[in-house]
Amino acid sequence: MSSLNGSRPHVEESVTRDYEPWLFQAMLDELTNNELGIGFVYSLLELVAKRYSLSDVTVTLFHEMTGVQSFRLGQKNVDLDVFAQQGSLVGVICNPDVVPESERDAIRTACQLSLSLHLARYSSARDHLTNIANRRSFDSTLETAAARSSRYGWPFTLVLADLNDFKAVNDRLGHARGDDLLRRFGFALRSSVRKGDAAARIGGDEFAVILSNAEGHEVTGFLDRLRSNLASAGNVIEFSVGTASSPRDSVDPAELFRIADARLYAKKGISLE
Amino acid sequence: MMSITEEDFELELRSLPGVLNVGMSHGESGEVELVKLVILGESPGPIRTQATQIANLYFPDVTIELEVADAAQLTNQVASRVALLSAEFDEVSGVCEVRLGYEGRIGVGRAESGRLIGAVEGTLAALRELAFEISFHLEAVTTVPTVRGLPIVVTLRSFSDDVDLYGIAQSEGESLSAARATLNALNRFLSGPKNAD
Repeated sequence: MSSLNGSRPHVEESVTRDYEPWLFQAMLDELTNNELGIGFVYSLLELVAKRYSLSDVTVTLFHEMTGVQSFRLGQKNVDLDVFAQQGSLVGVICNPDVVPESERDAIRTACQLSLSLHLARYSSARDHLTNIANRRSFDSTLETAAARSSRYGWPFTLVLADLNDFKAVNDRLGHARGDDLLRRFGFALRSSVRKGDAAARIGGDEFAVILSNAEGHEVTGFLDRLRSNLASAGNVIEFSVGTASSPRDSVDPAELFRIADARLYAKKGISLE
Repeated sequence: MMSITEEDFELELRSLPGVLNVGMSHGESGEVELVKLVILGESPGPIRTQATQIANLYFPDVTIELEVADAAQLTNQVASRVALLSAEFDEVSGVCEVRLGYEGRIGVGRAESGRLIGAVEGTLAALRELAFEISFHLEAVTTVPTVRGLPIVVTLRSFSDDVDLYGIAQSEGESLSAARATLNALNRFLSGPKNAD
């Protein structure tokens, strides 16, 4: 066995691999239409299946966040026997087995990158605890909504909510119970918004929602849905809300936040001064 | 802002613990009608509940079906995986130290060749300490700039012929990425140190 501590081979730090031209071109073509993500994985499998007239093709990947994941074109089941025979869980299995190994490696690498980037994109926009949008992502959405409201007059309402006596729950029952409460509230929030709305956790026990094309009774409707969803899941969670509407109150995101925050604290009987 | 897309829906389902594969069938309107999950484990109840909750957020009328996979083979395979415990580069000494776990043992490998190459060579050295025979050497380690980060691609070349192995990973820190990419490249050769002399 050779030792790397002895004569280490010369290593270049920026060598790129020459993939099969057709595969490389196909990947580039696909990237002009799609971001790297799960959709890209399926597109790549389709391309390979078509080129080699495969009846079946599966790629199995591993990622820390998802564990082992199989993607099989057009079929739903996973044949683990095949992977046991291959001696590896991760790889590309084709039927018939006519795809060169170098191409299978390239496909696996591209699929792995796609899954990793999709997960990175997905998790960078989410709050880990509640699985709704995080503050950074929400700020960006609010900016966009405010710009549209300013330009086209499209109305929306910013709703800020925080849980009543959350600190006491944390202190009395522990942080695990507090986290559970946040998770439940986040899920109820997510279940209560309509498509096109946005819900986010923006701080410890503070949540924010953008209700598109909503003023007045739509806001009431949303709050009714939220209370109903909380109650139907057996959650006794009390919360306070403050709202600000655009363009009526302001078209400036920071100002909308300030107004909604002031109204929230006024309802709680707390002065922001 | 996260988009409500079918891809995100699938990704969220795949992120549930125990879900191995996701299949979807679409109705005439193009909406998802049926979701089939291939799962590991004996008790699909909690996964069904979570999957149904998630599905309701995206496609409320979807039907969820579960299929339990043959876990025995997979468990055996996963149990034999080499785990990357740490990869740390010391700026002062220039040494990269990689720690790997395998069947309750820890292998430590060090290399003085920098943050990237050192991580790859440290990983190979740690594998050898764990009695794996690794008949590959480092050919190239490349950083791939993307909009979303800097994944590392590692190319290993066989000592005996021109067979190349490729691994790619993106973790927190370049050394960790390089070490993980090395393990990914060697994945199929790490079913056990059976080839050790």
